[in-house]
Amino acid sequence: MIKNAPLGTSESILFVVGIVLGGFLLQWVVGYFDFGLLHTPGNFIALGILAALIGAGVYFQDSPFVRWFAGIPMAIALIAALLVFGLFMDLTPQVSRLAPNTNDAVSRLGFRMVTSSWPFVLLYGTTLIALGITSFKRLVRFSRRDIAFLCNHLGLWVLMVSAGLGAADMFRVVMNVERGQTERTVYSADGKSLQLPISVTLKDFVMEEYPPSLTILDHQRGVSQSKEAAEYFQIDTQRTAGRLGDWLITVEEYVHDAVRIGDSYRAYPMPVATPAAKVAARHLRTHETRTGWVCSGGSMPDFISVLVLDERHTLVMTVPEPKRYASSVTILAEGGEPIDAILEVNQPVKVGDWRVYQYGYDTAAGKQSRYSAIELVFDPWLLPAQIGMGIMAAGAILLVWNGAGKRRESK
Amino acid sequence: MSWGEFPFFAIPAALCWLLAGIGACRHQTGPRACVYIAHSAMVVGLVLFAVFIALFWQTLSRPPLRTMGETRLWYAFFMAGVGYFVWCRWRYAWMLLLSALVASVFIAINLLKPEIHSIALRPALQSFFFIPHVIIYIIAYALFGATTLAACVLLVRRKQGQDSDELLAFIDNIVHVGFGFLALGLLLGAVWAKEAWGHYWSWDPKEALAFVTGAAWLVYIHLRHRGLKSNAVIWALPISFILLLLGWFGTALFPGSSLHLYS
Repeated sequence: MIKNAPLGTSESILFVVGIVLGGFLLQWVVGYFDFGLLHTPGNFIALGILAALIGAGVYFQDSPFVRWFAGIPMAIALIAALLVFGLFMDLTPQVSRLAPNTNDAVSRLGFRMVTSSWPFVLLYGTTLIALGITSFKRLVRFSRRDIAFLCNHLGLWVLMVSAGLGAADMFRVVMNVERGQTERTVYSADGKSLQLPISVTLKDFVMEEYPPSLTILDHQRGVSQSKEAAEYFQIDTQRTAGRLGDWLITVEEYVHDAVRIGDSYRAYPMPVATPAAKVAARHLRTHETRTGWVCSGGSMPDFISVLVLDERHTLVMTVPEPKRYASSVTILAEGGEPIDAILEVNQPVKVGDWRVYQYGYDTAAGKQSRYSAIELVFDPWLLPAQIGMGIMAAGAILLVWNGAGKRRESK
Repeated sequence: MSWGEFPFFAIPAALCWLLAGIGACRHQTGPRACVYIAHSAMVVGLVLFAVFIALFWQTLSRPPLRTMGETRLWYAFFMAGVGYFVWCRWRYAWMLLLSALVASVFIAINLLKPEIHSIALRPALQSFFFIPHVIIYIIAYALFGATTLAACVLLVRRKQGQDSDELLAFIDNIVHVGFGFLALGLLLGAVWAKEAWGHYWSWDPKEALAFVTGAAWLVYIHLRHRGLKSNAVIWALPISFILLLLGWFGTALFPGSSLHLYS
């Protein structure tokens, strides 16, 4: 058994600690790992090396070294080390690119971009080899009893290979496309322009908003009126009255697309139209009543109205929250046919290895936004990653079904 | 169908689920009939609730996923459903009762706080993945909570000189089932993230902690597969649970902004 083998648990721990220390040293001397090296064909070369190492491991699976390297103690040491690096990611704010001339010890040791730091990359690579040998060893000697084991390990391996080796080939960019314009040029941080093999034309951008809320401002405190937390009255056509602080609020009239005409508001289908409400507020003790229009103004400062309740308190309307926003676009990928599509949050459009997302808009302008921010993501390694996830999902279902199963106990 | 009719479906459904939970717990010591009562009450409750959701969906002519109140409908339904599944498979009666209680709390919030029905759900949350992602995580957390309690009981018993292989076997089983749910919740999140944020894994602070949590339970699982059962191994469970709680509530405590914050 492995317990009598020359290499055991302490050696596994020492080995992993060695990798981490070596990684830190490398990090200090040469800086962050350059993921550019893994651009195709770099990642295929890396995959070839990985396959050769795993193949050798599977071939020599009975040697004490391979049994130790792909054994449970090594797995535990590797998982624990990766766990610690996961914690580092939470304890230090992560950046996607370091500012030039960043030279503090935290950055030099790799904590600002943990996933690009040498110790993490080396741990990840070692895990790929060990997990690969473990998985393929069982796959070669396939037995039905091993299905759950295989799904959990092989699925994770496929996902980790696709995510790790595919990281460099992935390309993400956000373009602001103005209404009626076609955009295919993006700019890098240093101002260089790049022509994408895909273009997006924005035909229209629409946005629906939720009815806003009402709240009371306290002039002395300069904040929302309630003592503990801000209180809001959500305008709701089903429920027109409610309490807000010491006042009973009744919404007498609500106009979702209103424009101001004198001291009143009317429904009018104009781009600048914004929600307005005629509100009656009655003080719960003094029974004093105030009535008037309230409006947050939208993009028109002239539309703003508030209802003064007393010397200290004013009833105001919040800016409406977006309910749905969508862009009507035409997407043209090189060598393809133009595709008309509606882009919405949670509903990207797939064009070859590209996915096109509704990313955002000019939040200051709201409905009036002149542009739509569209994200383009190119990920040729997505399919293998999805296959890995699918295998893992099957493994997870088997775990739920089988539980711990039968095991041997040490005495 | 509207919120006006909700109590006529929800209250009987919640009562059915609670009855089922109690019946299942009683069955462990009481008569065999309890198990039939539990099954029938559970199914009746689920069907009643499903009928309300279906008719409500039809009235709205869109899936009821837009507001907090609508989301809680699904929370209650899935919580009861998954609790039922776990009970059917593993006969953990406490799991059925616990999920019935949690589902009833979701129903009670909808009944007692009608003013929050229409609180807007942000566009990023308006997805079919939202509810299963959250519910499966809640189930995994509930199971891990149970293992942590059991681990503490085991440690105390060992101190008193009474080891229990039976309790350890129970812990191992729930850790595996819980890890299965955790992995499913994570994978659903990844699929959803690809649809909503452009990438399935971004090492967002919450994701990093989800990874940490998963890794912690994996360490325990592998220690046990190695056949180890010392106190140090059992201590891995409460420690993992602390990491899990950090991931659940504590993301806001860490530096760095998370896409997972929706307040």
